Amino acid sequence: MRITDYKKQKPAENAKDALAKAKALQPVLNAVVTFYEDTKQQADAADAKAEGLLRGVPIALKDNVSTKDVRTTASSRILDNYVPVYDAAITEKLRDAGAIFIAKASMDELGMGGTNLNAYTGKVNNPWDVTRISGGSSGGSAALVASGVVPMAIGTDTGDSVRKPAAYCGVIGMKPTYGRISRYGIIPYASSLDHVGFFTRCVEDAAVTLQVLAGRDDRDLTSSFEPVLDYSNHLDDRIEGKRIAILDNVQNAVKDEESLKQFDTLMKSLRAKGAVIEHITLRNDLMQALLPTYSILANAEATANHSNLDGIRFGMREPGASVEEVMINSRTKGFSPAVRKRFVTGSYSLFVENQDRLFRKAQKVRRLIVQELEKALQNYDAVIACAAGSIAPHAEDTSEEKLSQTYLVAENHMLLGNFSGYPSITVPLGFVGGMPIGVSLTAKPFEEQQLLNIAAAIEKETGLADQTAEVKA
Amino acid sequence: METFDRAYFKKLAHQIMFDLSDQEIDELQEEFKVLVSQMELLEKIDTDGVEPMIYPFEAETSYIREDKVTHVLSAEAALRNAADVREGHILVPKVVK
Repeated sequence: MRITDYKKQKPAENAKDALAKAKALQPVLNAVVTFYEDTKQQADAADAKAEGLLRGVPIALKDNVSTKDVRTTASSRILDNYVPVYDAAITEKLRDAGAIFIAKASMDELGMGGTNLNAYTGKVNNPWDVTRISGGSSGGSAALVASGVVPMAIGTDTGDSVRKPAAYCGVIGMKPTYGRISRYGIIPYASSLDHVGFFTRCVEDAAVTLQVLAGRDDRDLTSSFEPVLDYSNHLDDRIEGKRIAILDNVQNAVKDEESLKQFDTLMKSLRAKGAVIEHITLRNDLMQALLPTYSILANAEATANHSNLDGIRFGMREPGASVEEVMINSRTKGFSPAVRKRFVTGSYSLFVENQDRLFRKAQKVRRLIVQELEKALQNYDAVIACAAGSIAPHAEDTSEEKLSQTYLVAENHMLLGNFSGYPSITVPLGFVGGMPIGVSLTAKPFEEQQLLNIAAAIEKETGLADQTAEVKA
Repeated sequence: METFDRAYFKKLAHQIMFDLSDQEIDELQEEFKVLVSQMELLEKIDTDGVEPMIYPFEAETSYIREDKVTHVLSAEAALRNAADVREGHILVPKVVK
């Protein structure tokens, strides 16, 4: 069902059905941290509205979105008892549009991970094969959309955390331009890379969602003044004359023959419809540097951002004989080993003696990477590539050879969208061995309409709009 | 170049106010080997004359707002999530001994 279908039904029925399905699937998917208890009241409030782009539509929020009076843990033990006293900007916007919140969705702790294995409530299971991972960090949101619980869920994307789980779960995952959606009230990971994004099952719903969420917010000092368009009414799936560049660095690094074959078939059909499809290669040394640059910048920013999580003013407090001991005990017990190890890496690159060699160096390499992408996009409307190097792996298969081209480039190329801030979307491409695969598209800054239009053309070719995984409760 | 021994990681962790177990340090030592190799990929790139990129866009989006009171949290709301509150203050172990 699409957003328009939900809007034709009674909000109370939508809320009841979505909540019941989410609860029934929870033992199988483990996608939810907290269920809303006031869905009936929310539905009544939506019912009383004359209009709203999401009037009466049930949705899920990633658990790093601040929700007044509703627990918000970011899937971390240190925030397990945290109840925000204010709403995020997007929480207000979604409520104003008539959305009904049914659940706060699981994520990798504080957004730090790409598997959703590192959540305080445990692994999120992929709706297409529950023995496999959902991907992360917005894994709970991806699973809830893919399994048909809700037509849309909010995620955040610091290093492909919407777009990778979208590919693994066979749904649309969009991260618009940096500054397009306010981040006020989002528990941060790395401020120079963090974006709000979302999951849907069709491009039309992605256009509606973007329209609801986009716009300037004075409370987020990186929020853009660029005007918001009527994305859904301008949706146009005609591909003739569009110029699309295949990113060969990625295609050459993907080893899965079936994924490459399906990608080539799609390119042929787009070409047959009049698209101009050409190949580009970015500097390989810069592509190989994506992950190390990200590791340095994201971990350093996270270390600084999360210095306020100490158990003193909010969050889980552990006893200690002094303030310092309380902080150390609270942070030791409050963060998982994986997160503490990332903080150590971040702190290492911020040491005075390492700042020029690592942190500043990474910031300079970031500029070179972005200049390379900017140059490539001068001649094209979008850059396209396989979203990931493989289908969603099993939990035990998530560690690969960390210096291979497949890992550095095929699995991490979507970082380009975070470094540049350019809008980027994952669209379902097909299935390999019963598991979904996707393609990634990136366009110029604030060209979300262009991106959505090309995504709509791809969706038309694949015929994969509105697909849901049949999950047995 | 650092030795990345146990004491080094303990020191790093304590500076950012947490502890690491011996097993976690063992894992970090392994992870740092990969990290150092990955960072070498970065070091090979010539960045002479390149300005650091801090945020994606350099267009001005921040400014000093009007001096008007907006979005105020009450003291009660601000203290609601603290573990121990007495007489409008957050209580912590005694600081001055």
